[in-house]
Amino acid sequence: MSHLKKTAYEAAASDTDFRKTWDRSEYEAKAKKEQDERREEGRARYEAKLEGKKWHKPVDFSTLDATSSRAGRVDVASMVGKSTLIPAGSAIGKRGRGAGFYCEACDLTYKDNVQYIEHLNSKQHLFNTGQSGEVARATLQDVRNRLEMLKQRKREREEEDKRMGEIDLDARLKKTEDIEEREREERRRKRNEKRRKGGQNGIKTEDSGWEGRLGIIS
Amino acid sequence: MTHRADASSALDNRGYAGPLIRGANPITLIETAVRDRITESLYWKEQCFGLNAATLLDRAVDLSYIGGTYGVGMRPTPFLCLAFKLLTLTPEKEIVLEYLNMGGEEWKYLRALAAFYVRLTFEPVDIYTTLEPFLTDARKLRRRRKEGYVLMHMDEFIDELLTKDRSCATSLWKLPGRQQLEDLDMLEERVSPLQAELDELDEMEQDQDGDPRNGSESGASPLVRSSSSEG
Repeated sequence: MSHLKKTAYEAAASDTDFRKTWDRSEYEAKAKKEQDERREEGRARYEAKLEGKKWHKPVDFSTLDATSSRAGRVDVASMVGKSTLIPAGSAIGKRGRGAGFYCEACDLTYKDNVQYIEHLNSKQHLFNTGQSGEVARATLQDVRNRLEMLKQRKREREEEDKRMGEIDLDARLKKTEDIEEREREERRRKRNEKRRKGGQNGIKTEDSGWEGRLGIIS
Repeated sequence: MTHRADASSALDNRGYAGPLIRGANPITLIETAVRDRITESLYWKEQCFGLNAATLLDRAVDLSYIGGTYGVGMRPTPFLCLAFKLLTLTPEKEIVLEYLNMGGEEWKYLRALAAFYVRLTFEPVDIYTTLEPFLTDARKLRRRRKEGYVLMHMDEFIDELLTKDRSCATSLWKLPGRQQLEDLDMLEERVSPLQAELDELDEMEQDQDGDPRNGSESGASPLVRSSSSEG
């Protein structure tokens, strides 16, 4: 954009100068590179076919992380009862976004949850999401730490359950009062904040004109 | 050290190169039909993917019943799926003992799972010495049958593992009898923890009846109640 024509008034020379000026040589080089890559891939694919093998894009294994277990269930029910807009003609095959379980990383849509989970376990998906499909082997210390962590979590949950299932009436009343008091405090704070924001300089201004009010015709 | 996130290397029938149990691929300890059902099940695909010996605990503490297969479709239980996962992982002996002792105190189903794995993979003498202490564990277990659940106890389950040849949809490999190992001087004779009580009972009966009675009871059985009802 450096060689824009300028007039004496520093204004743009024509009404289309806001458009980007393309660096032809840069894009030429880029196109050539892409074309070369495509050609290279095509040749490799052809040679593999001659040998009777299937060609896969080479994966840089050094950049992949170890796979770990799922933190929870795969949420397949989140879209139940919802409507989504899908492009016309997307119903054929699984390429692209369509109706069903969509995988963002691989740009594929599956029609049922088992297929979808199988895809999540597949090499294709793992490589696309930067996982190697290899899991680190746990040592005895790992197992001990995990057990400690799980015990801790269990204790906390039990503590929580005990608090929820309190049967002493006075304690329960007191707890409810505390919670209510906290909620009131929160509401008060919000109200004050709103007031401060609504008025100018912290003072609420009254609408001076009486015209237009309900029931008054001037 | 890493291993594959799924069981593809263990299920590879063209050339398995992993650890062996008694000279064979450990997954063959589960029957083929059940194995196929496990690898087809949703629990296996979703929950058992990418587990290692440590993260398997997350799933094991959520177990709420033991059992083999259930329903008309003979779907494998999570218990069996996790046992199968353990067979593909083949964790070290110390880790399994950690499951049994440290984890087992807290979570009974984890102990049941580890005990099942011990029965399948350990050496005969080790099986007896590791599992017999848990015959004193009387915690309740839920067992899923073809339809519905039944109640059983940990000691019953351990006894089943030690004496029966089929448990949880799996035919357990032939374990030499306790007596046989004792004869070979590989095992000490087991003294039931209830032996003192039994002796006391016998003495009382002797006092009452006046006729001497032979109180020697086979120590391996946890069902000592039957002996007291005999008299």
